Amino acid sequence: MIPIENFLILSSLLFAMGLYGVLARRSAILILMSIELMLAAVSINFIAFATYLDGEAFSGLVFALFVITVAAAEVGLALGIVLRLFRERRTAYVDAADSLKW
Amino acid sequence: MIDRLPLPAQFDRLIIVGGVAVGLVMTPILFVLLALLIGDQITAAELVFWLAFTVIVAGASGTVLLNNIVHAALSLIATLLGVAAVYLLLATEFIALVQILVYGGGVVILLIFGLMMTNAQDDPVVTDGSQKPFAAIVGVLLAGVFLAAVIDAEWGSETMTVVPFRDFGARLFRDFIVPVIIVGVLLDIALSGAIVNARASRIEDVDADETTSEASS
Amino acid sequence: MGIDLVGMEDVWILPAIPFAVFILVSFFGRLIPRNGDFIAVLGMALVVLLVGLVLVDFQGAFHDEVFAPIAGANTYSFDWIDIGDGFFVIEFSTYVDAVTMVMLPVVSFVSLMVLVYSIGYMKGEARYGWYFAALSFFVAAMLLLVISGNLLQLYLAWEGVGLASYLLIGFYWERQSAAEAAKKAFITTRIGDVGLLIGIILLWRVTGTFDIQEIIHAAEEGVFGQTYLTVAMLFLFAGAAGKSAQFPFHVWLPDAMEGPTPVSALIHAATMVVAGVYLVARMLPVYDEVLIARDVVLYVGLITALMAATMGLVATDIKRVLAFSTVSQLGFMFAALGVGALTAAMFHLFTHAFFKSLLFLGSGSVIHATEQQEVGELGGLRKKMPITALTFTIGSLALAGIPVFAGFWSKDEILHDLQHYGPFAAYVILAVTAALTAIYTTRLVLLTFFGKPKNEQAYEHAHESPPIMTGPLVILAVLALVVGFITYQGVGESLGFVGGIGELVYLPHHGPHVFKLDIAFAAVATATAVVGVAIGIMYWWGDARRAIAAQSWAPELHQLLVRRYYLDELYQGVINHVVLGAAAVVAWFDKRVVNETGVDGSTQFVGFLGYRFKFLQTGRIPHYVLGMALGVAALAVVAIGTT
Repeated sequence: MIPIENFLILSSLLFAMGLYGVLARRSAILILMSIELMLAAVSINFIAFATYLDGEAFSGLVFALFVITVAAAEVGLALGIVLRLFRERRTAYVDAADSLKW
Repeated sequence: MIDRLPLPAQFDRLIIVGGVAVGLVMTPILFVLLALLIGDQITAAELVFWLAFTVIVAGASGTVLLNNIVHAALSLIATLLGVAAVYLLLATEFIALVQILVYGGGVVILLIFGLMMTNAQDDPVVTDGSQKPFAAIVGVLLAGVFLAAVIDAEWGSETMTVVPFRDFGARLFRDFIVPVIIVGVLLDIALSGAIVNARASRIEDVDADETTSEASS
Repeated sequence: MGIDLVGMEDVWILPAIPFAVFILVSFFGRLIPRNGDFIAVLGMALVVLLVGLVLVDFQGAFHDEVFAPIAGANTYSFDWIDIGDGFFVIEFSTYVDAVTMVMLPVVSFVSLMVLVYSIGYMKGEARYGWYFAALSFFVAAMLLLVISGNLLQLYLAWEGVGLASYLLIGFYWERQSAAEAAKKAFITTRIGDVGLLIGIILLWRVTGTFDIQEIIHAAEEGVFGQTYLTVAMLFLFAGAAGKSAQFPFHVWLPDAMEGPTPVSALIHAATMVVAGVYLVARMLPVYDEVLIARDVVLYVGLITALMAATMGLVATDIKRVLAFSTVSQLGFMFAALGVGALTAAMFHLFTHAFFKSLLFLGSGSVIHATEQQEVGELGGLRKKMPITALTFTIGSLALAGIPVFAGFWSKDEILHDLQHYGPFAAYVILAVTAALTAIYTTRLVLLTFFGKPKNEQAYEHAHESPPIMTGPLVILAVLALVVGFITYQGVGESLGFVGGIGELVYLPHHGPHVFKLDIAFAAVATATAVVGVAIGIMYWWGDARRAIAAQSWAPELHQLLVRRYYLDELYQGVINHVVLGAAAVVAWFDKRVVNETGVDGSTQFVGFLGYRFKFLQTGRIPHYVLGMALGVAALAVVAIGTT
């Protein structure tokens, strides 16, 4: 029997590392990958809570499923945006997306 | 065309280097865990957990630290497979399968396509205004906060509730049918959006694309 | 009870009619034939009719020759503004008693006459419809003023007549002097109005009510401290003096003659300027409790009466002579109130309204015919304008106080009361003033209608006014002739009314004021008036040689009077040096401290901060994400730290 803390510690580390990746990376693709890490951490949390704490053990699972689904959609959409950025700026670095300040 | 594809050679080297690295890291850990298992210090499940833990942390580190973008992508695959193992440990085989299918089969392939179509640019070495120190501070802070919270909390229940595969499907499509449909619509919209975004919106754009890419290559 | 269609409890309808006319004519006047002047006149005629009905009801409320209406029969009220569920209630209330019943016929009847007259006088003017609208607004406010049962409502109407006065004095606002005069009138009366408001608030602070009768009751029961009440009533009197152009606020009235002459007749002779008299008369029971304040009323009235009369001696503008005369006569009324002679004051108010509006309308007729206002340009007009000359002369005789004419009776009554209740000096001053009145009245008549025409061109141009103008003149002349002795004694009684004004209007604790014509006293008064007229004739008959000689005999004195005792210059000096000096300090503070430091400074500070920190806005997404993550981390640390 693995205590729930182990899973939570794992997800905390995973989430923090993903966040680090999002902040530290310049390549849009790598940032996307880091986001996937964070989403995976969230899913682990959902499932751990559902299994250990929820008598029905169901809502968390559905949430995890939806997170995976939405993540897939997000990756597809985000890659479209990255391609667009690449075509406009000849690069996939997020530094290139600097037109927020004109 | 073929001589312009450097991938096979790269992949060979990658697999060798990666395999050696994984072996170097994993073998001692595996031995330690096995020793603990034999000494009845840990159960088999715990062995698997710690293996998965190692894979996930190592993979995630690779994903966020490696400058070579292909290496980072491979690390991501390892991480996601490790996460699938964690799902298995949590007795949710279905989610684990979905994780492998969607991430291993879909998302990562998409990402690799994406990085190929963007010339597989590695993460640049930023000399001025690098955010890495700040990112490290934020990451450490947040990890500290999470860990403190996790360890500090009283979690109570130590029993696992297992949902049989069949029940999961039945309840998903009975009680959550509306969200499922909505998610379907969402996927549809996202896909449409991805297509609209990714395709060249104007002929001139395509022309410009081709001429510039030729010029640059 | 007689006809009770419209009784004393329904007087609220009186101001409602002209107000409706005002709305109709001012907003839709263009769509109505003749710009709606006939609506104003017909509305006013209806008001006169209704006042008649109210008068009948009022007569019916007399029992044993004492005004004793059934409880609530002469009042009407409803809660107008209720703050805090009864904590602070402002009522709309009307109250009718004898003082009101003197005012209502005066206001409504003179207004009707002036409106009819205006149809002829204002013919062809630009803003013809607006003139009638503004006049209707004035009448509405004035009627509301005299029926008000509480001070706050009275104040509202008070400001309403002030506004109407401002608008009508500045009717020819294209003319610089008219605009200036309107401003002067408004600001001067406004100074008094602030006093009035302070007085009202002071009274409310102690009694917690604005209701006039309740305040009078409280004052008689001694709820107020003596000093407190004195101060409050002096503030109240400041408002009255401002509105009635009493010293030291009198300066605005002569300038107010810039307005159209019928306006001067209505507002600045018969009605609005007597609002101050009305206010003091209304509150006279309270003034009786604080004799110091009442004495102030007396002295101010005396000073004003004498001063204005002397200034009237030398004024050369026909309307200004009348304006000074009005100020002087208002001084008479205040002097009467100052010795507690309510009856005499209201009687004089009543008669004065008729003959003074007659004089103004007559002067308007002259101006209309000759387009000249300076007496130096007139003369000999009696041949050209017989009706105007006759009626004007009748009005002048009434003003001078010649027996039988209205002014004689009321002025005699004031002098009589002053002699009985006031200091002897007061009587002497007013007697001298009465003589002066006769002198300048005679002078005015002689210079205008007699002698040789001084401006041949104007004389040739002159013609008798149309009937629509002479009609009101004749009616008012008849009234100026008879209204005195009808209301004085007996004659009214035989017509079915209760009796002379003395049995109507009196202070409750004095009892009915029965006039007795003291033959000796009246003879003295008559002699004074006759001597005045004689002096006037002596000096100004023919080519006024003696008057010119007198002028050169004491040029400094003449100049002093022409310059109105230099009071305007004094006020201007005070304004220039004291008010503008203080204003400059305030302006400096506003400009430097409030505006440049406070307003501009804060914006400049924000701009400075923006300039300093704009480097944070790089436009690069990673920076924004980093900021967001830092924020999240900080929040997480705070959250974990607090639990």
